[in-house]
Amino acid sequence: MKLEQVNKTFGSHQVLKNISLDFPRGKVTVLVGPSGSGKSTILRSLNILEKPETGTYDFDDLQIDFSKEISKNDLFYIRQKTGMVFQSYNLFPHFTVLENIIEGPIQVLKKKRPFAIKQAKELLIKVGLSDKANAYPEQLSGGQAQRVAIARSLAMNPEYILLDEPTSALDPELELEVLKVLLQIAKEQQSMVIVTHNLAFAKRVADKIIFVEEGNIIYDGSVENFFDPDTRNARISQFISSMTFEN
Amino acid sequence: MWNTISTSLPQILEAGFKYTIPLALISFFIGLALALVTALIRLSATKGINIVIKLFFRFYVWLFRSTPLLVQLFIVYFGLPYLKIKGLTPEGIKLDPFMAGVLTFSLNTGAYASETIRAAIESVPSGQWEAAASIGMTRTQTLKRIILPQALRVSVPPLANSFISLVKDTSLAASITIVEMFEVSQQIAAENYEPLLMYSLVAVVYAIFCTILSWLQGKLEKKLNASHVKRGSESR
Ligand SMILES: Nc1ncnc2c1ncn2[C@@H]1O[C@H](COP(=O)(O)OP(=O)(O)OP(=O)(O)O)[C@@H](O)[C@H]1O
Ligand SMILES: [Mg+2]
Repeated sequence: MKLEQVNKTFGSHQVLKNISLDFPRGKVTVLVGPSGSGKSTILRSLNILEKPETGTYDFDDLQIDFSKEISKNDLFYIRQKTGMVFQSYNLFPHFTVLENIIEGPIQVLKKKRPFAIKQAKELLIKVGLSDKANAYPEQLSGGQAQRVAIARSLAMNPEYILLDEPTSALDPELELEVLKVLLQIAKEQQSMVIVTHNLAFAKRVADKIIFVEEGNIIYDGSVENFFDPDTRNARISQFISSMTFEN
Repeated sequence: MWNTISTSLPQILEAGFKYTIPLALISFFIGLALALVTALIRLSATKGINIVIKLFFRFYVWLFRSTPLLVQLFIVYFGLPYLKIKGLTPEGIKLDPFMAGVLTFSLNTGAYASETIRAAIESVPSGQWEAAASIGMTRTQTLKRIILPQALRVSVPPLANSFISLVKDTSLAASITIVEMFEVSQQIAAENYEPLLMYSLVAVVYAIFCTILSWLQGKLEKKLNASHVKRGSESR
């Protein structure tokens, strides 16, 4: 999965400035950067919730040219290959936890209901919520809701899961239970792209780090180099020290 | 007095069950269907032929919300017979009173309720659209499965209010010769010279109908909320 020479403007504000990125399969790519730098816009472009004006998007053999109209088929192909997890969970409030998870498999992938339910129950075990199948979203804590959202996106069997600050609405102890689930999924070679402000987690989970600032890619490389005080550039050092106790 | 009441009440109630309630119910459900279509069209993308269709529905909503219901009834019942278009309606459009009533009340309800439904759909957070899109649901699937069920819950109280208003507004149908409750009470009053008693009596009957409807509304809202949250063992 890769983006090439992508530009996106909102009004007169250029949010993505000719960026090119690739997201290796089976690996975890973490996007970091200051607020407003364009991280969410990158993630949303990968799911085509946002359509950049120019640039291309390659997914396996499919190439999408953002400057042209995107066909319905291509759109649904991308949407099925990429699952999105939002900061605010966005669970369907009128459905139970189980119904939230089986909705996509049944309606979109046309799976049989018993199969979808069986799969959903396995996913609930995986995210540690097997006792919540019949609960409604508003009965869940934030951490539980986000784990359901992760299960919902996994149920579509996507190649990549895109997570936009999945834990920034959560208290620390609830954050931890979500991060543990993500680490577990990462261990199973699930391809992921994660936007996070939690650098300790980034260090732990990432195979690759991308640092975005004002729509430019400042860093795109290994985790070790990113955090290495000897090799990293001044701007990154400044960012890291603003986010941590390190100085 | 009790004698007068006991002879006239059955006639008023009969008119209620024969005309007032059917008129309100039929018009309301046709109006709701029309409102849903109107709301969806008005929320659809503004491009191509859609622009003309959207403009037409906007005009329709504007027209029925900015003219009095009584005038609308008169135009449909007394006016349309004079709408003589060569080749299309050479004889004018003559509707029987009940049909004219249903047509007018449906169109009127449709215009108002479409605004209610439109607002309810817009009140569903955009994150719901995005979550549905991100699992690959089409626009139609998203509307049907995700957005409308949530919008419906929000629009039950205002729609129920519209229905209650409609029940009372059907009294205007007396003016186009429908013998609903109010018309019957007028007829009786003309015979027994008891206008105060007759009009108070029909007012009480309207009040009872509307109170029952409010009570049903409360039940429905409770039920919709309950299906959303089952209290008890499942909660955290
Ligand atoms: N729909 C929109 N309309 C107008 N401007 C937008 C829109 N979405 C994002 N922006 C602007 O684009 C810029 C980048 O936004 P983006 O959400 O991608 O940043 P971010 O890196 O995810 O920030 P944060 O860490 O705060 O989430 C911001 O300046 C934001 O104000
Ligand atoms: Mg963001």
